[in-house]
Amino acid sequence: MEIFFQVLIDGLVIGAFYSLIALGYTMVYGIIKLLNFAHGDLYMIGAFVGFTLLSLFTGDGGVNTGILGLGVVFIGTMIIVGFLGMGIERIAYRPLLLAPRLSILITAIGVSLSLEYSSMIGWGASYKVYPIKLPNDGIQLLGTQISFAQMGMIVLSALLMLGLRLFIDKTIYGKAMRAIALDQTACSLMGVNVHRIIALTFFIGAFLAAGAGIMSGIYYGTINFLMGFTIGLKAFTAAVLGGIGNITGAMLGGLVLGILEAFGTFYMGGSWKDVLAFGILILFLVFKPTGILGAKEMERM
Amino acid sequence: MKPLLKLTDVNSYYGKIHALNNINIEIYEGEIVALLGSNGAGKSTTLKTISSIIRPKSGQIEWNGKNIVGVPPHKIVESGIIHIPEGRRIFSGLTIIENLELGAFTFRKDKKWIKEGIERSFDLFPRLKERSKQLAGTLSGGEQQMLAISRGLMGNPKLLMLDEPSMGLAPIIVQEIMRIIKEINEQGTTILLIEQNAKAALRLANRGYLIEIGNIVMHDSAEVLREDDKIIKAYLGA
Ligand SMILES: Nc1ncnc2c1ncn2[C@@H]1O[C@H](COP(=O)(O)OP(=O)(O)OP(=O)(O)O)[C@@H](O)[C@H]1O
Ligand SMILES: [Mg+2]
Repeated sequence: MEIFFQVLIDGLVIGAFYSLIALGYTMVYGIIKLLNFAHGDLYMIGAFVGFTLLSLFTGDGGVNTGILGLGVVFIGTMIIVGFLGMGIERIAYRPLLLAPRLSILITAIGVSLSLEYSSMIGWGASYKVYPIKLPNDGIQLLGTQISFAQMGMIVLSALLMLGLRLFIDKTIYGKAMRAIALDQTACSLMGVNVHRIIALTFFIGAFLAAGAGIMSGIYYGTINFLMGFTIGLKAFTAAVLGGIGNITGAMLGGLVLGILEAFGTFYMGGSWKDVLAFGILILFLVFKPTGILGAKEMERM
Repeated sequence: MKPLLKLTDVNSYYGKIHALNNINIEIYEGEIVALLGSNGAGKSTTLKTISSIIRPKSGQIEWNGKNIVGVPPHKIVESGIIHIPEGRRIFSGLTIIENLELGAFTFRKDKKWIKEGIERSFDLFPRLKERSKQLAGTLSGGEQQMLAISRGLMGNPKLLMLDEPSMGLAPIIVQEIMRIIKEINEQGTTILLIEQNAKAALRLANRGYLIEIGNIVMHDSAEVLREDDKIIKAYLGA
């Protein structure tokens, strides 16, 4: 039973990363029907920008960064990467908005490679050790040791997702996003600056992915310029699992995938992890392409 | 008196299709102007050109004396021209209230305007009030048209352009919609109305334009158009 909860907690943390990244996938798909395959790389850039800020913040390599310093690093990184996401939309995707789907998909792959290899040039090709060490202590719950770091990550992810859900449901900009997903022209006729709202969507997606990036740097302890590739595909799987275009679906899909993976790894061994995830992707694409939350919910972001 | 809106020699294309050919239209403040014509004549294209959904290849569109060709659609809305498009185009996956709030997007900081606007919409169309939290896609055709009109009014138009508001509606609902359009006009909004139902449109309008395959072929007061042989034969049903 202890083991069970340990695996569950691990799955929840990883699932939260998947969810945060899947949200950007699903929002961008919802609003302009683009599968932004460069999205996983924004998570990687988030990890690296966080790495640099942490290193700058404290001369000793960030080991003693307090909770406040960590907060500043998180917010700073997420905003910087948010603007990067917006810039990518402006430069790479907007000029192609009316081009065939395939051109824009290929562009996304090009953007992904550019991000990966400019990061390699900027930060180097080797694994970097994340300059922060969180204390291992935590609390005993149901016979399992849960560290404060794990709890912090789960809580932060939950807050970010809750904030996003409220933003989408309650603010006029969130409503505009949902409306653009349904009918862009009608939105222009309401006085909505459609390009602005699309840019905002990219900002939010990149912002959340960057948050996941720093957390994973802290959680796993090392980062690398290719770390966004597989997790990008996993997050895409999570988005499909929940029903692509559906915000709540992406949150749910990420958690489900994370937990399934954690248990799969535990019972079948780590080498089966990716097989399991992509097996799920293929099963869903074939048998239920609308995802868990189904076709009806798809209309709503 | 100077026209509120003036189109001079406007030419619009879809690719190679020449949809509007040297169109000239003038609309004066306080008027109801009808734009008549058969299917494919270029009525909707005229509205889309005015609201900048498509950009004319040549010609001028003056709004309050200023050329607005090339101004993006959201700025056109801000300047007081509101276009309720053909087929209603309500946001089916959003609630009635959310649709209305989006109609007031340019007033998004003005909470009081939004609140009063929603109340006004419900006074105008009490049926919307009962369904305010429902998804707009669940409304009947007539109710959707009511929502489309209310949503347009939320943006506080000086000029309201309606593209076939009576399309597919039962005669009794058409009458109600026409009555509301009249009421909106009496409260000071200038109206440009596209109608297949020329009879209803000419009863309401002060003036009318007739468009055929991209050309304005006739324009006159509504009284004259009502008596015109050609219009009677083609559009009023002898
Ligand atoms: N998106 C488009 N792409 C290509 N051609 C178009 C497009 N929209 C309209 N057209 C063409 O432009 C011409 C004018 O169309 P428009 O929609 O303005 O007609 P309309 O007078 O509004 O007709 P209806 O009464 O059927 O709505 C038609 O020949 C039509 O086929
Ligand atoms: Mg039309």
